[in-house]
Amino acid sequence: MKALMSVGALIGVIGLLVLIGMILGVVPSNTVKLVEGYMPMQMLSELAIFVAGFTGISYLMSSMGMPLPRFWQGVLFWVFIWMYLKYRVYPPIPFSVRAMYGTVTFVAVFMWVSANEEDWKKFKQPIINVLDANTGFHKALRTLYLILLPILIGGFSFLSMKPSTEEPIELRTVHPAPPASTKVHGKTYTLQTSQNPYRVNPEGKYDQEYSNKLIVEQGMGRLMAPNANPWDEKAEGYLKYVREGGEIFFQNCHFCHGDNLNGRGLHAFAFNPIPANFTDPGTIAQLQETFIFWRVAKGGIGLPNEGFPWASVMPPWEQHLTTDEIWKVILFEYWHTGYYPRTWD
Amino acid sequence: MGPVTRNKLMSIMALGAMVGLLLLPILVSIPALASGGVEAPAATADAGKKEGGGEAKVEKAKDVYYKTEGIVSGPPAPKTTDSEKDYPRYNFESRVLLWFANQQHLYYGSFVLAVPIFCMIIEFMGVVSKDKALAKRYDQLAYDFIKISLTAYSLTAILGGILIFTFLTLYPAFFQYLSQIFRPVMHIYALMFVAESGTLYIYYYGWDKMKEGFLKWIHLSMSVVLNVIGTVLMFLANSWIGFMMSPAGVDEQGRYLGNIWHVIHTALWNPLNLHRILGNMAFGGGVVAAYAAYRFLSAKTDEERAHYDWMGYIAMALGVSFLIPLPFAGYWLMREVYAYRQQMGITLMGGLLAWLFIIQATMIGILFLSTNYYLWQALGRMRGAEKYQRYIKYLVFLVVCGFLVFITPHTMVMTPAELKAMGGQQHPVLGNYGVMSAKNGGINVIITTTVLSFVWYMRGNKVSTVSWSKFGNIFMGCFFFFAYVNIIWLAIYGYYIPANVRVGLSVPQVATTLSCLFFMFALNSVMMKGAKQTGPIEWGKISVRSQYALIMLATAFTWMMGLMGYIRSSVRLFWHVNEIMRDNSPWAYTHTVGFAANMISFNVLFFWMTIMFVFWLGALAAKKVPVEAKAGAPGRAPEPAVGH
Repeated sequence: MKALMSVGALIGVIGLLVLIGMILGVVPSNTVKLVEGYMPMQMLSELAIFVAGFTGISYLMSSMGMPLPRFWQGVLFWVFIWMYLKYRVYPPIPFSVRAMYGTVTFVAVFMWVSANEEDWKKFKQPIINVLDANTGFHKALRTLYLILLPILIGGFSFLSMKPSTEEPIELRTVHPAPPASTKVHGKTYTLQTSQNPYRVNPEGKYDQEYSNKLIVEQGMGRLMAPNANPWDEKAEGYLKYVREGGEIFFQNCHFCHGDNLNGRGLHAFAFNPIPANFTDPGTIAQLQETFIFWRVAKGGIGLPNEGFPWASVMPPWEQHLTTDEIWKVILFEYWHTGYYPRTWD
Repeated sequence: MGPVTRNKLMSIMALGAMVGLLLLPILVSIPALASGGVEAPAATADAGKKEGGGEAKVEKAKDVYYKTEGIVSGPPAPKTTDSEKDYPRYNFESRVLLWFANQQHLYYGSFVLAVPIFCMIIEFMGVVSKDKALAKRYDQLAYDFIKISLTAYSLTAILGGILIFTFLTLYPAFFQYLSQIFRPVMHIYALMFVAESGTLYIYYYGWDKMKEGFLKWIHLSMSVVLNVIGTVLMFLANSWIGFMMSPAGVDEQGRYLGNIWHVIHTALWNPLNLHRILGNMAFGGGVVAAYAAYRFLSAKTDEERAHYDWMGYIAMALGVSFLIPLPFAGYWLMREVYAYRQQMGITLMGGLLAWLFIIQATMIGILFLSTNYYLWQALGRMRGAEKYQRYIKYLVFLVVCGFLVFITPHTMVMTPAELKAMGGQQHPVLGNYGVMSAKNGGINVIITTTVLSFVWYMRGNKVSTVSWSKFGNIFMGCFFFFAYVNIIWLAIYGYYIPANVRVGLSVPQVATTLSCLFFMFALNSVMMKGAKQTGPIEWGKISVRSQYALIMLATAFTWMMGLMGYIRSSVRLFWHVNEIMRDNSPWAYTHTVGFAANMISFNVLFFWMTIMFVFWLGALAAKKVPVEAKAGAPGRAPEPAVGH
């Protein structure tokens, strides 16, 4: 048991040192990389390892007769989570989300330290000591808190009430709600049932399965499936359309949506919000092909009321592209990102 | 005729009267159904006579949902204008007044529909219990429950009246249209209300007269009738909101086509019914648990504390048993919403109302966190449960990780500077938590951990004596371990497959969670049969924190009901009846998240203030009969419930 705990403690200490080193800039921030695509699980696993590490440290310290008081265990764990979220995760997490996570962690620490009477008593003791102020040290501490707390609260109130010149926060609708049907170049498309006419097999028939097989392999790294190179001169059918869609994309769309379709094109940062990132699993991967067709055709302007609050400067591409060209671009976007469009059955 | 026989006869007659009352609305409605429910308007008939030379002309139209043809039997939905005529008003937002009246009626309605179901279950437990003292305690508990609901029932009726008057005075055009479509249903509803009242009063006042033998079974049957009536009442009310969201039985102009079943049985009716039954039960359990917690905290004696500790536990356990399947019922409802109108689904989950779902996820998390916390605290009143307490921190870790994933927003609130620093609307790490695949994993981890907490609680003060206990424990440990692995693995795998297939992954995830629930509970019960007790459950010796957790649980239920009601209603955006009757009032817009949150909080606060009054009335009545109240277990400490 002790050996196991020692290993845990060692891992915990190393992890902490690396994190502190990264915060202070002593250790390069990319020492332990967050691997693209596996970041979410990596983050949870790292936290699990840290928890195991802290358990080990706590166990060893207790067995050496130097137990860390429960109060400080709780406080330090909460501070650790706060630092982890602020300094370990890149790109930075917005404050609103960190505040949510911080609050939940606070609750978690409370649940942990008050799970049984004995622990709760231990946790409360330092607080009660200060409130009772039976020693000179505690009395001084209490006086200090009485002075500091109003100043801190006053400071927070002042900062929160102070007029700011920053742009106001806007809750933007990521997926505006689509209409039941849309009319493009005089033809009506029912969004729930229409299909991309270029998602076809060699016989020229609509075939989702066939195009799925030829799509880049879904997964991180976006590897190309064997025999699925649309830029091959001999490429026919579906793959040929992908190439044609790609050409249209690079003539019209990549300035904003980027070469890698990640929403970071040449002009992207001139806009607020910046263009959609198609490689994110929350964008086109969640949607029907017809939804994208509607968005591309109609652009950001003129969305129905149901879609409010929209915020997009994308032009209505139906004014510049033919219907066929729009469908081909969409084919390319799915092919390039490796996602399959949503279907209803 | 002896007194017992007369009692029997009277009881059977009362039960017969209840069944008669239950069937009465159906009998009354038969002629109405036969005539199509709504008479053809005189003007149409007259016009028909003129054109057809005395013969009424039959106009046919297509059902907007069922796509069947029907005879036009009503006027089109009115086209309202922003005027005093269609939208009379005070110098205040009419919608907010209606919101308040509706929500309060719904809170009380849910409570009085849920509590009799609890009474039925608890009374049944009392009847079948072999331990006489325990049976009496169950019976007393059921009686206490129904006593609280009686006052609440009057308030429900009063609030219902207020709601109708609010509709009539502030939204006359809309209400007139709705009552034209639902005329037979509204009559049946009113009759059902009469039947419910009659049944409830006989059930309550007949309690003492029918407490033994055959009469007790008759009394129990009454509770079944009472609950059938209550459930039908709720189904009928659900048909109105179902129609407003997903109309059927009318044509594109909103003209009634003569088939009342189509109007009732809309696309969302059944998922709404299921969701509401479970929601009401969970809510009812929460409110009663909060009542018990309040009485526990204000108790003066150990005996009182023990009683209310026990009551709180029973109510919490009943409420949570209905809370566990609730997310799955909600999932079904959302699936049906998407199937009905993609637009509505996206407005809810990915669009305008998406942030409210983050708040909802937070509330669901709070519910499960409170439940787990209560159970961990409850281990403290069992001797021998200490062995489990040191592992609680790992359960905290599991629940909180699931919670953090579950509440991660897809649309984040951030300053423009943060947006630029992040490089776009999506975050490479949190963007993955913000979609359904991860969230399904998150909530299933939370529920599975709650099941695990219950299993620990059930074996807190027991040591299994079956010969295969070691093997059983290892099997249980492996089962839970692989359940977690399966749930988390499926959540990750969801990112590597098409979205439509990913949706289907929720089925094996839910199946895993439910397997833990059913198999592990069953296995645990078998293992704990005849187990050695390491000490009794010391009812009343529980931390006060646990009671605050119960109050938290109840408040979170109330808040979440208010929130979900608002979301469900506001998804119609500027329609009174979706795509049929437009809302042209000056308030046909969606409120900001902040305003909605304040309004919901106000409704919650008002409900709790008034329900405190109801509790106080209940306590007032109890004080008059102190001897009778204690008669359940004279001179002895309260017994634990079977199987705790």
